[in-house]
Amino acid sequence: MADRYLEVVEPDDNVATALRELEAGETVAVAVGDEERTVEVSEDVVFGHKIAIEDIADGETITKYGKSIGNATEDIPAGTWVHVHNVESNYGRGDLADGEQTAAVSE
Amino acid sequence: MSEFLGYERDDGSVGIRNHVAIISTAPYANDTVKRAAEIVENTVPITHPLGRCQTKPDVFQTYRTLLGYGTHPNVYGTVVVAHAGEIVDGDELASDVAETGRPSDSVNIHGEKGVMNALQRTVNSAREMVQEASDQRRVPADMSNLTFGINCATSDTTSGLCQHKATARAAWRLIDDHDGRACFAETPEFFGGEHELAERAVNDEVKQEILDRVENWDQRLQATGYDVRGAQPTPDNMDGGLTTIEEKSLGALVKSGDGPIQDIVDYGAQIPDDSGMYIMDTPGHGAESVTGIGAGGAHFMVISTGQGHTLSNAIMPTIKITGNPGSAERVPEQTDVDVSEALVGDQSFDWASDQLWDEIEDVVNGKLTMSEAMGESQFAIHRIGPST
Repeated sequence: MADRYLEVVEPDDNVATALRELEAGETVAVAVGDEERTVEVSEDVVFGHKIAIEDIADGETITKYGKSIGNATEDIPAGTWVHVHNVESNYGRGDLADGEQTAAVSE
Repeated sequence: MSEFLGYERDDGSVGIRNHVAIISTAPYANDTVKRAAEIVENTVPITHPLGRCQTKPDVFQTYRTLLGYGTHPNVYGTVVVAHAGEIVDGDELASDVAETGRPSDSVNIHGEKGVMNALQRTVNSAREMVQEASDQRRVPADMSNLTFGINCATSDTTSGLCQHKATARAAWRLIDDHDGRACFAETPEFFGGEHELAERAVNDEVKQEILDRVENWDQRLQATGYDVRGAQPTPDNMDGGLTTIEEKSLGALVKSGDGPIQDIVDYGAQIPDDSGMYIMDTPGHGAESVTGIGAGGAHFMVISTGQGHTLSNAIMPTIKITGNPGSAERVPEQTDVDVSEALVGDQSFDWASDQLWDEIEDVVNGKLTMSEAMGESQFAIHRIGPST
């Protein structure tokens, strides 16, 4: 039976939210729509954080709520913690803006 | 319940509180306002660093925000305190307040020949208003009078999965069952969900306006030359598991439900009278968005929080709801309603919404919220451009 403490919002999401602490080495059953998927957790994950429920390639879209929440900045195998260290946003990216837009104030 | 007990105003609105506001028009009147509010019981000081040497878009925004508080349904009367001649004009503000039938007075520190004279006059006016306000009784009023403010605070991944669902259901209950209004805000927190949100607009004009305003915010953020991460999402959002602004936004939008959007209004502008769900164009900065929605005339606000937040408002009571198990215990003064049993226990989201609705009924009839009882509030008007 699927673990109720791993929430996948939409069936095409590739991440699950952990509503309990996960430990490296656990095998968890995740409900994805009407199906159930087995994932080997590869690192400890704290309450509220996310794990990949399938292999995600570098540059690929991270999907939650059935929509993009950003892109992978490295290969993220299933069972891996997904957070700021391996995902980047596509909004508010002044650091990537074209040449006309440079930082007005230095650090 | 289709009625509540409220304070009738001459302009047709009905308040759930009966405050006397003492409003500063410029930084140089703030001390007089604060001192008067210390002397006269049951007054609300409204101070800020704006109102002088601002460009016109900011002058308009500051003025309409202050006027929104001076004429708020929860305000009985207002004393305006100005320093000297200012671009945000104290006499004009007091006169616009008086047009709504509320007692109002305009005090000018230079005009009164000094701070002590200005303080005395402010105290005398405020004292008179407080005594009159205390003599007014609550009377039965229709729930359709009410406007429900919605904001999030210290969001985490539980927000979109739990407490925002309860908040949305309660807001739509006020709209659908009682013909009331609701308003949410925080435009940069639509990033990633703006197209689905825009599809909910009642017409093409509103749809385009939503998309344009979201685009405008992205451009403003890009113009800084930096990645917005750290400001959106915030460090506490990231601690709570939110990775990008898109993830935060998609969760944040859950608190507005999925019904039609009537309109998107400017920061601090009046929320229209017609029943329905509205958006106010504000930053995600909680103190600024809450201040804006309060100026818009929301009677109360539900702050749907993950890990708890002191975010609150002195004129518009704020009801904090969380679905993060542990937040209620960790930050008790920042939790009015704990619905975490709907996330990790056996309760439904309808149950969660009912818990919130019961609290709303109590608060509109006079029960003090946690932040009212704790005497906590912030006031921060969003600024657009430079000082000059």
